Amino acid sequence: MTTLSRRSFFKQSAALGGGIAVAIHLGGCGSEPVYPGDRENALQPNAYLQVTPDGKVVFQLPRAEMGQGVYTGLTTLAAEELNMPAEQIVVEHAYYHPEFRDPEFQMMMTGGSVSLRNNFMPIRQAAANLRAWLRAAAAQQYKVSLDAVELSNGQVLVEGREPVGFGELIETANSLPVPEKAPLKSPADFSQIGRHSVRLDARDKVTGSARFGIDCTVPGTRTAVMRRCPHLGGRVKSFDASAAKAVKGVEAVFEVNGGVAVVASGYWPARKAADALDIQWDKGPLAGLDDNTLRQRHEKLLQSEGRQVAEVGDAEAVAGERMTARYRVPMLSHSPMEPPNALVQVSENRVEVWTGTQVPDTAIGVVAAALERPREQIIVHNQMLGGGFGRRLVPDYIVEGARISARTGHPIKLVWSREDDIQHDYYRPAAMAELSATVDNGKVTSFSGKTVVPSIMGQIMPMFAEAAMPEWLPPAIPRSLAGLLKHVDTSMTEGLGDTNYQFPYKKMETVHDDTPIPVGFWRSVGHSQNAFFTESFIDELAHRLGQDPVEFRLMHMPHDSRRYRALKLVAEKAGWGRPTPGQFQGVAAHDAFHSSVAQVVTASVEGTNIRVHKVVCAVDCGLAVNPDIVIAQMESAIVFGLTAALKAGITLEDGKVKQSNFHDYPMLSLAETPEIEVHIVPSTDAPTGVGEPGLPPVAPALANAVFAATGQRLRELPLRLG
Amino acid sequence: MAVTTFTLNGQQQRLDVEPDTPLLWVIREACELTGTKFGCGRGLCGACTVHLDGYPVRSCSFPVSLAEGKTITTIEGIAPSEEELHPVQQVWMEQSVPQCGYCQSGQIMAAVALLKQNPEPSDDAIDSAMSNICRCGTYPRIRTAVKEAAQRIQSASMVTIVEPQEAAL
Repeated sequence: MTTLSRRSFFKQSAALGGGIAVAIHLGGCGSEPVYPGDRENALQPNAYLQVTPDGKVVFQLPRAEMGQGVYTGLTTLAAEELNMPAEQIVVEHAYYHPEFRDPEFQMMMTGGSVSLRNNFMPIRQAAANLRAWLRAAAAQQYKVSLDAVELSNGQVLVEGREPVGFGELIETANSLPVPEKAPLKSPADFSQIGRHSVRLDARDKVTGSARFGIDCTVPGTRTAVMRRCPHLGGRVKSFDASAAKAVKGVEAVFEVNGGVAVVASGYWPARKAADALDIQWDKGPLAGLDDNTLRQRHEKLLQSEGRQVAEVGDAEAVAGERMTARYRVPMLSHSPMEPPNALVQVSENRVEVWTGTQVPDTAIGVVAAALERPREQIIVHNQMLGGGFGRRLVPDYIVEGARISARTGHPIKLVWSREDDIQHDYYRPAAMAELSATVDNGKVTSFSGKTVVPSIMGQIMPMFAEAAMPEWLPPAIPRSLAGLLKHVDTSMTEGLGDTNYQFPYKKMETVHDDTPIPVGFWRSVGHSQNAFFTESFIDELAHRLGQDPVEFRLMHMPHDSRRYRALKLVAEKAGWGRPTPGQFQGVAAHDAFHSSVAQVVTASVEGTNIRVHKVVCAVDCGLAVNPDIVIAQMESAIVFGLTAALKAGITLEDGKVKQSNFHDYPMLSLAETPEIEVHIVPSTDAPTGVGEPGLPPVAPALANAVFAATGQRLRELPLRLG
Repeated sequence: MAVTTFTLNGQQQRLDVEPDTPLLWVIREACELTGTKFGCGRGLCGACTVHLDGYPVRSCSFPVSLAEGKTITTIEGIAPSEEELHPVQQVWMEQSVPQCGYCQSGQIMAAVALLKQNPEPSDDAIDSAMSNICRCGTYPRIRTAVKEAAQRIQSASMVTIVEPQEAAL
């Protein structure tokens, strides 16, 4: 019987940090679905791996490849245990299967920088089991002892024989039990893990043959685009489709999901017709809201009583002069380069979806709910993701495609424009924080703060619940969870109340901004703003006390911590304290997703123009399975974070997003990108997060460098010199 | 609708399309070459970069009617053969430049065009020619790869005196 332990549910609803930890056990009475990619006459020890009759090893990639490198990293884990080059393994984007659910998030999803951390053992074990199975089969088939059999280079070496192809062992293996706990390779014997190697998806991505959701098509496909209410949360009141219907190639125009859909023979006629629609909008709950009213709202909320999320030490220790500073960050759009899109074919007993998603599990759940079909009918063919960054954790675009396909009876490729993407995102929320410290006799006696921020989990949980909740639960239950979750959403304060800074007294509070503005998981989530708050204020404290910012930090954190080691290393590598004349350094160090990243930014200022010259980065992420990808992810997160630090945020006017495309929501360019130097702290610990932890420190490190250059303390992002 | 003719990756195309249709959608939908990507629809990001008579153009905002009689090359058309990559692609792959990969067709087309015009580009030249957006932040590797590809093309041209077409005769 399926059971839901409410207590553990709430206790473990820890940081999604891009995800949700939901301790719901989905036992259930139904039979498990067959392994994905099931092939006739294949050898299949588990959901991850198969051997085909022609001897090929097929790996079901259980996580979405969105640039972060799982295609290479996770395949390398299997290759290592199989003693074969990763390039020889056929990689397929896995279909949904319960065995692919993340143990923390209890759903098949990609986020929270957990892919390597949580798959490091399961995939190696799955491959080791296959290896043991093949060895046992060879020993039996050729009547030799197990010691005389080894796997090498995609073949089985049997003493005294020519190498044997895996396919030749399938029949014998199938007569033997599947090994379950075969011994794993010792790290000392790793020949691929920990080595530099070219990404396995690089070739397809330089030839244009890598397939993304937007590249998929099936016979009879029509293209659809939508007009959605520009005022967030609003909906269509009425519309005149006559001009739109006059566009050649347009087949249908109708209301769906609170907006208007246009179905046409291709993207261009659909877009032209959508632009020609005359729509009256009901502006919805955010009418009248602009950036100033949002700011005032946050200032007011800051005065209200918060929920205490952390208290460490003795309140009696608070003594001396108090210093307080207020920080703010704007809303941000994810804007992956591939705009959201989905191809959906709804037929009688089957709904097929071709798309790029971080949450196949949720996509299945919400499409099933939207079309009132059982989950088993929904098939998600996941593709390469043209960027994720958390945007593709929300399957709104998939539901749109599904509804339009259901309505028209045709396969529908729904394509968002860049304007749709920037104006209808689930945004990194705007947030405000007031941090405060007391200083007595040259020492910090307390560190406290309060933040005002919406709860992402509170908003998005109902949608995720469609995937994770047992089906017998009445629909009202997940909705009510949203109300409760805002009280436990750790993403609101991650990186603020839980740092390893040691002060005699620490206290952190949060005030929930219960807003209908759609908010979502944006690369590094709460850390993306909270590291800016914390690491800026720590810098202010260091300067107030006349102490070196690196020394001050080191002095106040445990010397055996990863963060301490990363900070020490980055200070040494960056030549801390010895910048090129005319250039200025700023530092920040932050723990996120179980990894530590420290960065020194070198910048200069001309007039009001901030120029970033160099970022030196040290990361401790445990064992680096593919060091080059770790370096690439640090580079990636630094560029992503510099865009947030320097470029425009999302602002509202009458509840409508003012920005619309890359001209007014610009990205950092190649010309503006500084030299980036990455150092990996050597480690034999199990791998921890890599995709997100490089981002949080860069904005505060840059703000701290700007302070060093100008004496101006910039407490808002984007950084603007007055 | 109007008939438009142009050469695409060496093949003559004759298509009946609305003249204002951006070249991007003709390439992707009518010609079914999907390596060229849609990123912004306003010529701002460069994911849709193709070559028109050897020059880079942003095909998302380039009406197909203006391609009449022209020679167009896409990412699918730059490699010398099925097995062999263009030197820019080769370096891009070896240095693991792509992350999500979505913008890389456009980046590579911009780089190929740059190196054709300027075989030894300075950092400033790279800065101004490589203006395509990459949300994954592969810029540091793009810069390095452009320089490395420039060197390889130069050293290859020093040993290859005979043009491949002539050699085939």
